[in-house]
Amino acid sequence: MRLRLRTLWLAIMSVPVGLPQPQLAPELLGAPPVDAWPTYHGDYSGRHYSTLSQIHQSNVKNLGLAWLYRANTNAHGAETGGSVPEAVPIRLGPGALAGGLLKSTPLFVNGVLYFSAPDHAWAVDARNGKEIWHFFWKTSGGDHIGNRGLGMRRSWLYLETPDGYVVSLDAGTGKERWHKQIADVRAEYFATSPPIVIRDHVIVGVSGDALDVPGWLESRDPETGEIQWKWYTTPRAGESGIETWPDAYAAEHGGGMPWQPVTYDPDLNLIYATTGNPNPVYRGDLRKGANLYTASIVALNPDKGKMAWYFQSSPHDTHDWDAAQVPVLFDLNLNGQPRKLLAQASRNGFFFVLDRTNGQNLISTTFVESPNWFKGVDERGQPIPNPEKDSQLGGTLISPNNGGAANWTPPTYDPETELIYLNTAQGYEIHYQYKTDGPSFGSSGHISQAVGGIEASLRAIDPKTGKLRWVHKYAGTEWNPPRPEHLGGLLSTAGKLLFAGAPGGFLVAYNPETGRQLWHTSLDREVSNTPITYMLDGVQYVLAAAGDTLYAFRVQH
Amino acid sequence: MALVPISVAFSQQIGGRAGQAKIDAASVERRNQVYRPNCGFCHGLDARGAAGPDLARSLIVLKDVDGKELGSFLNSGRPEAGMPAFASLSPEQSADLAAFLHAKIEESRARSPIDVNAIVVGNAAERAAFFKGDGKCRTCHSPDTDFKGIGAKYDPFVLQGRIINPRGGRDGPSIKPSTVRVTLPSGETVAGRLVAVDDFSVTLINGSGVRRSFFRDNEVPKVEITDPYQAHMDNFLKITDKQMHDLTAYLVTLK
Repeated sequence: MRLRLRTLWLAIMSVPVGLPQPQLAPELLGAPPVDAWPTYHGDYSGRHYSTLSQIHQSNVKNLGLAWLYRANTNAHGAETGGSVPEAVPIRLGPGALAGGLLKSTPLFVNGVLYFSAPDHAWAVDARNGKEIWHFFWKTSGGDHIGNRGLGMRRSWLYLETPDGYVVSLDAGTGKERWHKQIADVRAEYFATSPPIVIRDHVIVGVSGDALDVPGWLESRDPETGEIQWKWYTTPRAGESGIETWPDAYAAEHGGGMPWQPVTYDPDLNLIYATTGNPNPVYRGDLRKGANLYTASIVALNPDKGKMAWYFQSSPHDTHDWDAAQVPVLFDLNLNGQPRKLLAQASRNGFFFVLDRTNGQNLISTTFVESPNWFKGVDERGQPIPNPEKDSQLGGTLISPNNGGAANWTPPTYDPETELIYLNTAQGYEIHYQYKTDGPSFGSSGHISQAVGGIEASLRAIDPKTGKLRWVHKYAGTEWNPPRPEHLGGLLSTAGKLLFAGAPGGFLVAYNPETGRQLWHTSLDREVSNTPITYMLDGVQYVLAAAGDTLYAFRVQH
Repeated sequence: MALVPISVAFSQQIGGRAGQAKIDAASVERRNQVYRPNCGFCHGLDARGAAGPDLARSLIVLKDVDGKELGSFLNSGRPEAGMPAFASLSPEQSADLAAFLHAKIEESRARSPIDVNAIVVGNAAERAAFFKGDGKCRTCHSPDTDFKGIGAKYDPFVLQGRIINPRGGRDGPSIKPSTVRVTLPSGETVAGRLVAVDDFSVTLINGSGVRRSFFRDNEVPKVEITDPYQAHMDNFLKITDKQMHDLTAYLVTLK
């Protein structure tokens, strides 16, 4: 008892006077996620790997439900903010807008979980799943396709909204501190991305390829919300890369939305951003050229927003394949040399490994068998699109389909197996371009017919060779494979475990060496976010969301 | 299992642009009268660009509400870019212009329905090599039996989709089920019509009409599925667009 009182006294003494609680200690940002999961990726690397091993291959069979939390979207009792005076809350759950899914990867800081959905944010007690606060944003509109999570710095949370704002909340109370418009919903911009906090920068991106508008990534001041820099994803007149567009007008209307969170290498002081597809989406004839820097991986200085290098995953894309998939950072010995690497499994079916110091390409290969749209790779390792596979009046059979061979849900890199794991699909579509004259706009004059596909599978890729180590085909997915992001993201741990969602609404633990299933549980729907793990009171938890519900698991004795 | 025949985007949009431009059809002509003499010469009679830029894609127009931002922009113009000032334009005229241009945006972005007959671009006579050879179509199909009248039954768009995936599509006929054989650790085998399968269970209806379900644990029990459409599955990786076009053109002739 004396010890507990003393602990309590120390805890009180350690609270700086005048600062609100709870605090995220700055040194936790970017550290291996153990007692905290303070950013979307856990750390900055995008590996979605945990050093925790209390849950391991021998006891994972005893994993059981600790608690669940069903997202409360009731405006009554919520903290509110908004861009309009009144709005009806967006519900979650089956039948709701955009499937009503919790796509958010929770943050875990000081025993509290913070997560979000379009127009909503929650704080939940990680010990029992009880809601601490609920924030509701009164929206003026926008695409409510999803919200992928929050950013945090000290006591402040950062939320992007479908109507194009970034909102700062007090993590202790859920009260709004300020909000700033980042993009105009009237031009059909929207925002889904978790802000990534790097020192005194809050990095936010925008979405929206409906109306041929420009895309950019920007940095905001974490205290005031004022803009620090803005990096357009396509060049302006006179800038490098403009030669890959017919003219400056086409580049300015060329899209390239960076709608996914960045990863970051503190030693190189570079952020790795990924950009969306060019506009107009399917009329490549109106934007002849490679269309830099759309569908690309770009390295930027986080203090200035200056580009260090780029690699284009889909030069001159004509199939709506953004390259927004996570750029995963890891270090490996290649031919006896330690290398700082970056890997991306891109929506178009290509797996790339780059030297992340300079963007030099080391591996370009397909990670599924179906992609049929390219002729080869160029001297930079970038795919060369086959113009015959552009949409045609008579129909062009294309794989991957719009869902991609991979999509936004994060893969995982396991430093013990030195493998990358991800959910994949081999879907097909017939693309038709039935209007080919005159100006285009967004996706006008184009339609696609979904024709199912071959399968969906969990794949282990060796980044040293680009070769597949193992493939686990999901039973029953032939003819109509699910989009990869509809199975959720992945997590690997030092317990020699790989966690992944599977079709049919399962959360599964695998042996990462072999792909053998070690444990599974049935959820209400397919895993809709990316599982995380952390230590709380000496117990390791695994969390995953499915539909409108967050589930917490621990070993049951 | 049902396929969505056309990938129509599920509407996730609320409010925003769609809500702001209330098009009053009765005043269309009045708006034309503001637009044509003032703007048409540079921006084209349809506003989609001529010497001046395409106004349906203009960020100023996109972000405008009821002509307010547009009006103040037009009042001062952009002389350095060759865009004159329209100082005498009234707020009502700006609102009319905005309404005209917002209608152009909606008109321009529309994904109007495809003419399903226009997609028939192949040569029916050139189908033979694939039909009789590589594609293995003749193994199961004949113009005298199952294909009789198929060109009258389905439109070309549906026919083309079903060449690739016969299990889906609009107005599809009843689908032939896959069959499955489950071999239990004891050596006992249970076979029947496949009802459902995932990584952790398999369900079938046996020859006596009895429904059976089994747990699956990695490779136990052994599950072997036979798919009557396997030849179509194999074609995903090898059919060319020309073969698909020629087959479509051929099936259309089987009225």
